[in-house]
Amino acid sequence: MSENPYQPINAEIVDIIDESPTIKTFVIVPENEFKFETGQFVELTLPGEGEAPFTPSSSPKQTDRMDISIMKAGRITGMLHECQKGQKVGVRGPYGNGYPIDEFIGKEVYIVGGGVGLAPIRSLFLTLIDRIKDFKSVVCRFGARTPEDLIYKETLFGEWQRIDGVDVKLTVDSVGNGWSGNVGVVTTIIKADDVNVKNAVVVICGPPIMMKFATKQVLEYGFRPQDIYLSMEKNMSCGIGKCGHCMIGKYYVCKDGPVFTYEQIRQYPNIWD
Amino acid sequence: METVFISELRLLFDAIAGEMTLYVPKKSGEYYSFTEYDPSEETETEFNNIRVSSPAKEFLFPMVELAAAFPETSSEQEIRPFGVFGLKNCDLRSIKILDRVFKEEEFLDPSYVAHRENMFIISADCYDPAETCFCNLFEGQPFAEEGFDLNLSKVKEGFIVEAGSEKGNKFIQEHKQLFGDVPSGAMAECDENRKRAREQLDEINAEYMLDTPIKEIVENSYDSEVFDIEAKDCVECQACTRVCPTCHCFYLYDTKQKDYFGKMKMWDSCMRCDYATVAGGENPRKILGDRSRHRLMHKFVYFLERYGIEMCVGCGRCIEGCAGGSEVRQLLKKLNEELKGKKEAKAAR
Repeated sequence: MSENPYQPINAEIVDIIDESPTIKTFVIVPENEFKFETGQFVELTLPGEGEAPFTPSSSPKQTDRMDISIMKAGRITGMLHECQKGQKVGVRGPYGNGYPIDEFIGKEVYIVGGGVGLAPIRSLFLTLIDRIKDFKSVVCRFGARTPEDLIYKETLFGEWQRIDGVDVKLTVDSVGNGWSGNVGVVTTIIKADDVNVKNAVVVICGPPIMMKFATKQVLEYGFRPQDIYLSMEKNMSCGIGKCGHCMIGKYYVCKDGPVFTYEQIRQYPNIWD
Repeated sequence: METVFISELRLLFDAIAGEMTLYVPKKSGEYYSFTEYDPSEETETEFNNIRVSSPAKEFLFPMVELAAAFPETSSEQEIRPFGVFGLKNCDLRSIKILDRVFKEEEFLDPSYVAHRENMFIISADCYDPAETCFCNLFEGQPFAEEGFDLNLSKVKEGFIVEAGSEKGNKFIQEHKQLFGDVPSGAMAECDENRKRAREQLDEINAEYMLDTPIKEIVENSYDSEVFDIEAKDCVECQACTRVCPTCHCFYLYDTKQKDYFGKMKMWDSCMRCDYATVAGGENPRKILGDRSRHRLMHKFVYFLERYGIEMCVGCGRCIEGCAGGSEVRQLLKKLNEELKGKKEAKAAR
């Protein structure tokens, strides 16, 4: 990392993949090798315009380039969606903690994701399947608003489903053409017998409302709060626990998170707001 | 460490200003502000009896500054040594708090560190605490105890000058000709002055003394309606956070300059409506009362849990600066009374 924590390193967008009507994956090549742990985030700068926090969706094994899946949601993301290949950008980080993969060894890893929340999950997933024998299983329950809104379709319906030890189920809130899968919010495909609660951890990442209800549901299934890992989304800006925008109670999401166990933050009211 | 005596402030100011830019207090109306000392002008040298209205953080953490630039080379800026006279104990304690965040953490803020290393602190005792002063509620004294290079105590015949750091000690040794020995009786006079100022503070704040630790009061008041009631008088000017010497929220934004792109760092305020809003528009603290509560929670609960120190020094600037007449001492008192009421009601059941 640069000595100045606010200094981005130069990078270039080398490829742009349309994932859904609102989400694009940008392949970024930084000037120097860029290491991160799965679950950590970066600040991506559009020079002269602004920056925003994103968790890379590629495997941390890849240090020469990274994928960042971005939903058009605000000013900067809107501008990024207008960018073409070759666009110069800045990237700083990585920030915060990642998923504590080693604590998942020997356990069933139960991953619940929704919408653009699949971006950090893809990075986690790629990390897990790299050493799949270390885990009892990887059980995924992913949702999107419509079939068109599901991202990473190619791998999601293809190779990810064929990996030994991996179980993927998908759902959409409302049906579209050619969808023969489950219809309903993601909590409709989270079943009490999906995993053995006593030897499993659950990872939840998605829109706040989905995380709120998924957390409630897995708690009812008997998951312990310390076994529920949440990727929290707040207004992370400096990335180093100083500027104050992303606080949840005493925690800075940018430095102490973005991955928290439910146990850590349950004491604070309104964590889902 | 050296303790010496000087008869006139101007002698000291001239010596410091000969080596670096010196900022000194200047009275305008009933308040003090800092101004650059000009040795050539026969301006009056002021010894401020209480803290200056603006916070010391502006010397270490400018309101707007360039945090980074690309191409990277254009962001290099040299910070030169500078001195500040007239900081009070509350200011020194606020610097200690800011140091924890910007200088003693895993991530350093290079600009803060550079300003801090180049700052020569000449503090001074308080003689006439204002009605808004409440450092005694936070174990503060109206005179410096640590964190200064030189400290001045005013006595009848002049000023006792105490070194509090190697830098300060070196200054005294290099300017021996300016100083003399502390006259007999001056130390006792200084102690008497300090005692009197402390008594005055205790008197001012007698009605605000709390019988419960502040953390406990605030922590257990999350659902209190007092925040919403207080917020009714708030005009959202954010003065409380701007003048606060410990508030350190900032906002990063990007600009296009002629030959580089700049990433700017500017003071921000958690009282600002969209402060915590995320992309997509969700805002966890839409309501003013919620923001007011967060400000207090951060100061008296979260910061304390994280750094083991409260994020308030009792300087009273937020009281002085509030357009709505809000009073943090009153607020804490109300919360304390409400909490006690709840406890009593519970005991009665």
